[in-house]
Amino acid sequence: MATVVDSIAPVRSRRTGVRVTATVTGIVGALLAVIAGSLFDVRPPDAYGICMACHARDLLDWTVNAAAGTRLTVAPASLVFPVLTPIGVLLGALLAARTSGEFRWQNPDHPVKTFLYGVVVMNCALLAGGCSIRLLLRTAAGETLGIIGFGALAAGVIVATQWLRWRAAR
Amino acid sequence: MTAAVATLVAGVVLGYLGQRSRMCFVGGIRDFMLVRDGYLLRGLVAFGLTAWVAFPLVAAIGGAGVGPFGAPDVVTAILTMLGAFGVGYVSTLANGCPFRQHVLAAQGVLSSATYLAGFLVGAVIFHLWAAPLLLRVLP
Repeated sequence: MATVVDSIAPVRSRRTGVRVTATVTGIVGALLAVIAGSLFDVRPPDAYGICMACHARDLLDWTVNAAAGTRLTVAPASLVFPVLTPIGVLLGALLAARTSGEFRWQNPDHPVKTFLYGVVVMNCALLAGGCSIRLLLRTAAGETLGIIGFGALAAGVIVATQWLRWRAAR
Repeated sequence: MTAAVATLVAGVVLGYLGQRSRMCFVGGIRDFMLVRDGYLLRGLVAFGLTAWVAFPLVAAIGGAGVGPFGAPDVVTAILTMLGAFGVGYVSTLANGCPFRQHVLAAQGVLSSATYLAGFLVGAVIFHLWAAPLLLRVLP
């Protein structure tokens, strides 16, 4: 059991000795999402501060619209200039991985299956109106649809986990 | 422009912390069920509770409030439920939520980079085919 937990729990930074836990990330992430949404114009729609799916869609569609003159859907928050959350997350994670020496190229095992997972998750997320982060954010904002969505998301994770466990035990 | 800069800054901070903490928004429930490990689940709960407290606080100091939200119609509720179930189910099979996949891709995991390529193609597929099809089929 110790090995499993060790692989999940974060390592202490070699230089600063600071251990960033998931709880800290959750608190800071929620503050950033609420502040970005309420004080820095990342709206409408409401509770739009951070969403990996909608913001990636906005960034892609805005870029294609600007380059090819198309009229793909973007959220009102991204009409003039797109939200840049996906690029920010990639840069921040790259910085963290480089400074901690955890950056390592790893080849994919099942590229076609993984690609299709991405396609399906994006379609489901746009149908639900948010990725896991935004569904939780909408739940915290008190939106009924957000609560329904987050409940269904949790149910999906539970069913998938049971399925993985059943498959492993077979 | 404000929104772009704000989300870029928020993204960099969140990406940095997410890489250091291995934060994942579906991994919490999965790890707790599989090995009774509550590490990621605490992050998920912390995010929800902090946002729940922060929304009214930020509105009180002059920020834009959220809501009020009207009652959703049945079709939207069902679609949201189906979509969210799919996000949870497939994200678990894909080994992480979209946020975790972004972080892993930046760490050099090409499997996650492939996932992100599918993610972007998925957005195009949704707006060009899936959404028009749904609009035609649904009442």
